[in-house]
This record gives sequence, structure tokens and C-alpha cells, in this order.
Amino acid sequence: MRKHYSLRYFTGQAMTGLWRNGVMSVASVAVLMSCLVVLGCFALLLVNINVNLDNVAQLNQIVVYCDYDLDEAAVEEIGNEIEKLDYIDSVKHVSKEEALEIMREQSGDYEELYSGITEENNPLSDSFEIMYKGTDETKVFDLEAQLRSMEGVRKINSVYQVAKTLDSLKSGIMLVFLWFLIILFVVSIFVIINTIKLAVYSRRSEISVMRYVGATNWFITMPFILEGVLIGVFASLIGFAIETYIYNYVHKMALVDLQMITVLGYGKIAIPLFIGFIVIGVITGIIGSMASLRKYLKS
Amino acid sequence: MIDFKHVKKYYPNGTVALDGVDLHIDDGEFVFIVGHSGAGKTTMTKLLLREEAVSSGTLVVGNNNLAKIKNREIPFYRRELGVVFQDFRLFPNKTVYENVAFAMQVVGTPRSMIKRRVPAILSTVNLADKLKCFPRELSGGEQQRVALARALANNPKIIVADEPTGNIDPKMSIEIMNLLMKINKLGKTIIVVTHEKNLVDYYKQRVVMLKDGKIVEDRVGGMFE
Repeated sequence: MRKHYSLRYFTGQAMTGLWRNGVMSVASVAVLMSCLVVLGCFALLLVNINVNLDNVAQLNQIVVYCDYDLDEAAVEEIGNEIEKLDYIDSVKHVSKEEALEIMREQSGDYEELYSGITEENNPLSDSFEIMYKGTDETKVFDLEAQLRSMEGVRKINSVYQVAKTLDSLKSGIMLVFLWFLIILFVVSIFVIINTIKLAVYSRRSEISVMRYVGATNWFITMPFILEGVLIGVFASLIGFAIETYIYNYVHKMALVDLQMITVLGYGKIAIPLFIGFIVIGVITGIIGSMASLRKYLKS
Repeated sequence: MIDFKHVKKYYPNGTVALDGVDLHIDDGEFVFIVGHSGAGKTTMTKLLLREEAVSSGTLVVGNNNLAKIKNREIPFYRRELGVVFQDFRLFPNKTVYENVAFAMQVVGTPRSMIKRRVPAILSTVNLADKLKCFPRELSGGEQQRVALARALANNPKIIVADEPTGNIDPKMSIEIMNLLMKINKLGKTIIVVTHEKNLVDYYKQRVVMLKDGKIVEDRVGGMFE
């Protein structure tokens, strides 16, 4: 009974506080919301980079290109040598004729570009598509080095390198993201501190009477903390709605224009994102409230 | 029981507000604290409400040693006191009932008890018919009676009234003082801080006079010299 009554009282006081300081409340919600949307964008970007990285890493493929002037026996010799190497799962020989055929198929509308190329003047070389067994970095590097040093091998293309590049890109994005996040959260907390300070100021006479009749600090400060929580909740809800719109828009665009990239469906990430927004929003709101009440609580 | 022993209060700017005050007030007493501006009356009130801590000496109110009381214990100590201010400090947007109920609400009194008790207290201060009025609809004297009802809400043992008649006309002042006398008869300790000579002289209660932070006179049935 008592608890129920207090909760209603606290919520009522918190809502009144937000309403009385309308402009500051809106500013607090807006800043925290922007912060959450930026955070969400970065988080979703990272999640998608990770998914694509996994896809690339799963390929576990190295392509070995032979020298142009090798005869069939020399190419076969290279194939045999590759099969003897450690960490190899499978080796597939792609002759220069097959490579030309594949290229023609992939050219689609631009097939005429290849019309002058015949088997006699084929500019391509024989190659081997190698699948290796796992993702042990040392072993992959060893394998790459061994392949590169083989006689008759012109160059190798390792998807592992692409994955490494993407991985370092991910680290860069995370660093930028972290700085952005720190700055935005500091700004959010400052705006919330000012909003709560204004709320405390506008209710100072009420607070003084509360103190004289023996209200505990907990009872006095609870509405203000709840006010911070409400700012966090409102910012999270609006932020989540905006994030949903942005992601769905980007997802649709990516499906049409960037077919080679895997973009996760929103359904899979919506719930963790929503929980993240609420948790971060509410915690920021509480930190802001507590910071503005710290001096007051000490007295 | 209120016991000041060699109480001194200094402020950081060097002002000596109370300078070795010794004062004992028994349960159920009615005491006027008088003196001119700057005599130390306000500081004494602040010490009693534990808004300020003593600089040296001891101040004991009931079972509470205010020189040693912990911050978290202060709210519970204050529930043993009722306070009335010169400027009433009522909430303009709350009705008479709500203003009194508020004091009970903040200490977590169940709503059913608030509903029973508030009308009874308002009857004590002769405001039973003004439950639904807002402070702006009341005279100064009536507003102070609401403040008095609020001070009584949590059934305190001691009422501290800081210049309770400072903002109301003489006729209303008598009314408020009569109410305080009536409450005193119910067994509550009443401390009235004032500089109104006529009232003090009229009621002939114990008078403690402060001057420059010291008690210069303490006489039962005294006059304001």
C-alpha cells in the first residue's frame, strides 16, 4: 500500500518536474536521443562488418596464379607440390582456358570486350584455388609464404588478407566510435545535470518544507532521479524509432545496390538494440540526476 | 527535554552567533526566545532544527545528541519537531487538506491514516470548514493556522515557531498565540521565537532573552525588557 502510494507520488512529481522545465527536458531528451542514435548506427555498422568478416573468413581460400609461359607438365608439378603442403584441405586446378570462360560468363553485357581473345592469345594464366583447413593465422601465413616461394608461381591472392584489411578497418571505426560516444555522453550528462538542477531549483520551497517535516534524502531525491530515468526512457524510445527507420532504409538500399554485402535483417538485432538503448538511456539519466544532486545529498 | 550546554556557534566568516549558551527546557514547557536582530535567535532555531551543527558544547533534544547525530538520522529527529515559519511556507497550488496531508505523506504515513487525521488536526486549529480552500482564499491568520496544523501533522513532541505572528495583524496574532497555548496544554513543548514585546508581555510565560549570542535573562512569567 505504502510502496504503491509512494511510486505514484514519485512518478507524479517526476512528470511535473519534466513538464515545468519543458525546454530543458526536451533538450535533454534530444541530446541523449542523438547520442543513442549515433551509438546505434556504429553498433549496427560493427555488427554487419563482423558478419561480413565472418563470411570472408569462412572462405578460407587462396588462389595461386602460375607464370604465363608454363607448359602443362610444369603446372601439374606445381599442383602436386601444393597438395603435399600442410594445412591444405583441397586444391582445384583452373586452366587458363577455364579462367577465360569464367571471365566471359561474368562479363554479362560486356561480352564483346572479350571477342578478340582466343585460346592462342589468352592473356590469363593457369591457377589453383586452394582451400585450407582453419583460421590459424600463423599457419595461413606459413602457407602463403610457401606458396609464394614456389617456382613457377607468379602471385597469390589470399582472402585472408582482405579479412585482415576489414578487421583493421573495424578497429579504426571502433576508435572513432568510442571517441564520439564519450563526447556525446559527456554532453548528454551535462544537459541532464542542468535540467535536474532547474527542477530542484523550481521546487526548492517544497524541498525545504519536506526537510523540516522529516522527509529522508531518499524520499526527496527519488522524484529527481526518476526524472532522469524518464528522460532516459523517452530518449531511448524515440532514438529506437529513428534507428529502426534509418536501418530499414539502409537495409533496403543495400539489398538493391550492394548485393555483394550481407546486411543483417533488423528483426535479428532489434531486441538487443532496444534493450541496449533503454539500459544506456536510463543509466545516463541516473548518472545525470545523481551528479546534480550530489552536493545536495551531502548537505 | 531540550538541553543546551555551553553551546557556541561560529560561522566561517568569523561571526560568533551563540557564545556559550546554557539552557534547559523541560517537556511541556512554553518558552519565548526573545532578543533584537542579530542576538542569536535564528541561530538557536537553526541548531534546534539541526540545520546547523554546534561549533562546540552539547545540544540534546529528547534522546538525540545533536552534536553527534549522523546525517541519515536527522530526518527522523526532525519528525519529533513541528516547525512554523513567519512566512507560512504553504504550497499555493495545494488545498488546505493537501498542505497538511503533505507533511504526513513525506514521512510515509498510510493514506487511510492521513484521511482520518488531517480533518481532526484542522478541527484543533478551527479550520475544519476550510479543507478544500487554497491558501490564497485564506487570511494571513488562517494561513498560519494551516501551517500550525501541518506542524502538528506528525504528532511532534516539540513545536518551534519562528516569528509566527510576524506577518499577521495583532488580532490574528492573539488567535495564533491562543492556539499555541492550547496545544501546549495538550502536553507539547512550545518554543516561540519572537521580538514582539506586546505578545510576550501579555502571555507571561518563561522568557529567555538573548543578546550578542548570550542569554542575558531567563525568567518565568517574564516580560520583554
